Amino acid sequence: MTEKNTVNGELLDETSLSLEEFARACAVKRQWVVERIESGMLGDGTRYASQWRFTSRDLTRARRLRQMEFDFEADPELAALVADLFEEVDRLRARLRAAGLDPR
Amino acid sequence: MEFKDYYQVLGVDKTAAIPDIKKAYRKLARRYHPDISKEPDAALRMQEINEAKAVLTDPEKRAAYDQLGERYHAGQEFHPPPDWDAGFEFSGSGFEDVDLGEFSDFFANLFGHTGRGTGPRGHQGYQMRGGDRHARIFVDLEDAYQGATRVVTLHVPQTDAQGRVSLHEHELKVHIPKGIKEGQHIRLAGQGHPGVGGGEPGDLYLELHFTPTPDYRVEGKDVFATLRVAPWEAALGAAIDVPTPSGQVHLKIPKGSQGGRKLRLKGRGIPGSAPGDLYFILEVVLPPANTDKARQFYEAMARDMPFNPRQTR
Repeated sequence: MTEKNTVNGELLDETSLSLEEFARACAVKRQWVVERIESGMLGDGTRYASQWRFTSRDLTRARRLRQMEFDFEADPELAALVADLFEEVDRLRARLRAAGLDPR
Repeated sequence: MEFKDYYQVLGVDKTAAIPDIKKAYRKLARRYHPDISKEPDAALRMQEINEAKAVLTDPEKRAAYDQLGERYHAGQEFHPPPDWDAGFEFSGSGFEDVDLGEFSDFFANLFGHTGRGTGPRGHQGYQMRGGDRHARIFVDLEDAYQGATRVVTLHVPQTDAQGRVSLHEHELKVHIPKGIKEGQHIRLAGQGHPGVGGGEPGDLYLELHFTPTPDYRVEGKDVFATLRVAPWEAALGAAIDVPTPSGQVHLKIPKGSQGGRKLRLKGRGIPGSAPGDLYFILEVVLPPANTDKARQFYEAMARDMPFNPRQTR
């Protein structure tokens, strides 16, 4: 069965996600997000919860953290370290590609 | 639909204890992790092992699956018998915490009670928002400049009159706005999983990536391209027509250019409130010395232009 619709989306970063929306998008509880922000594993270091807004980059990072913690039962700090390394690899791969070298 | 042998998928014995199943799962999850795996079927294998783990590490679902598995083997044609799960009561009715659309038809048929809303294990008088979904799509770099419409095919669980769930193809025509960056997300409100008991549907998040092309490379909002020039264009300077993702431009090559020189076209990278830049990196290409005339030119240069590239800085 096939259906067709045309839909317009919102580009994240032009609009950003609230704590509630972000937790839902990552399939975690609000508290999970709060704990990781308070321990510096997520977010931009903004102190007040009412000011927390989340971007595309946060979403990719939080989903990686969640996967490491849930799939590998990793300690949150270890999951954050792995996410840091993935982000570094992403940056290096982008620079290699920009220099005309295929990182794969 | 084929019967899936989840024990075979994870490479564990039918009597394996949960810690052993988790260990086998983690080993395979590492191998097929989407961020590092180079295996061509990594996404499919990851789906299989996630599915196998979801069933085999849940004692209730594992018991029901084991009873069914006594009569089937991997790959065998399979239709779930009516009330196959009679006598088993699944906590929380189905899988609220997994994305059914990311699992197989086989899994959805057996365990996809989420969203049923009626029936013996339904959610009468209970309302819940549907879960959010995630998908990754590839678009052309030109789409970031002009915007585009893309058709995205999703597998959506649907429930029939008997309450059985199967996956259906759902095509969405999505507008891709201009100015997108690698890895950025688009949120499509209400396009996630259906809600339960009249609850709102979830949202769909599309993670955008550029289709790799030999013509352009992207870093953030900046775009890079190699521009091949003749030695006389680099040495004497030239004005040449070159294609860019936003159309052809007349580009001035400064005289005395060397291979590797970067020419920046400000603001011609990915558009936005702060647009990126487009960089052309010059590559000087030598004409082949494959005719008498060409050889004479090179011989004349060697004679008349004393030049040692190893002493040039």
